[in-house]
Amino acid sequence: MTPLGPFTCEDTARRLDDYLDRELDQADMQLVREHLERCAACAQEFRFEGSVIDNVKRKLRQIDLPEDLTTRIIAELERGKAPGT
Amino acid sequence: MEAAVTIGPPGAPPDVGAAELPESEFQAQLVAALPAAYGYALRLCHHRADAEDLVQEAALLAFRGRGGFESGTNFKAWYFRIVTNCFRGRHRQEQRRPRTVDFDDAQDLDLRAASAANGVPFQGDDPASLLIDRIGTERVADALARLPDEFRVACALYFMEDFAYHEIAEILGVPVGTVRSRLHRGRKMLQKSLWRGAEDAGIVPARAGSPGSEVVG
Repeated sequence: MTPLGPFTCEDTARRLDDYLDRELDQADMQLVREHLERCAACAQEFRFEGSVIDNVKRKLRQIDLPEDLTTRIIAELERGKAPGT
Repeated sequence: MEAAVTIGPPGAPPDVGAAELPESEFQAQLVAALPAAYGYALRLCHHRADAEDLVQEAALLAFRGRGGFESGTNFKAWYFRIVTNCFRGRHRQEQRRPRTVDFDDAQDLDLRAASAANGVPFQGDDPASLLIDRIGTERVADALARLPDEFRVACALYFMEDFAYHEIAEILGVPVGTVRSRLHRGRKMLQKSLWRGAEDAGIVPARAGSPGSEVVG
């Protein structure tokens, strides 16, 4: 075991996306977490990548549903039920 | 995490045969899913009118095929799959999106490394937040719109709705491993596309020569 834990920086970088998305199994989550606690460079990379994702989500989600869209769609469904349509 | 999705084969409407969702219940679930579906559709189409048409077409197909939805499973994911299939069907006919970024595998660009290499502040409490704020909502949306279709679809599901990989896999009808690779690659492409957009807008220093001349990361 190295001072940075069982995972090297490369091992950690390879798993960073899955770690950020909580898609690793528990054992790997723990090993990545241990590495990030001990490696300032990887921790900085992790914070940057996580922040890019969070901020892109925040920007992309700034959307309002057009006021009458729900009404139009419900009306369309009603028309779709009519015989012969 | 939401319940599993039961969805018919690609190319809605889904299977018929299960107990049909009562009309009032279908309508309630559809109305609840519409804001998210419209947001997703807008990020796929990049044009408001197209996004409205897309969710409307998908709603009608969902209504006609509601027998294929299994009560108690994830309605939103089921409807999103229909939206996705409608988008794919339409998009084959009208390829009108701008595609200005070269996404060659050999030319990945990492925002943090690019910031460091170009004198843009990349240290401090939250440098990514400052950079994305400077890039702005419209250019972030443009950056997503420039991704190749399959990467854009996977990234839109990921960024807009926090679906887990397995949920995205069910919506797209592909294995989880495919979702993982599309998201990982798509996120790299998005960073490159964001940087190019920031360069074009003069937010970060433009590279000497034509776009794409400097490779970072």
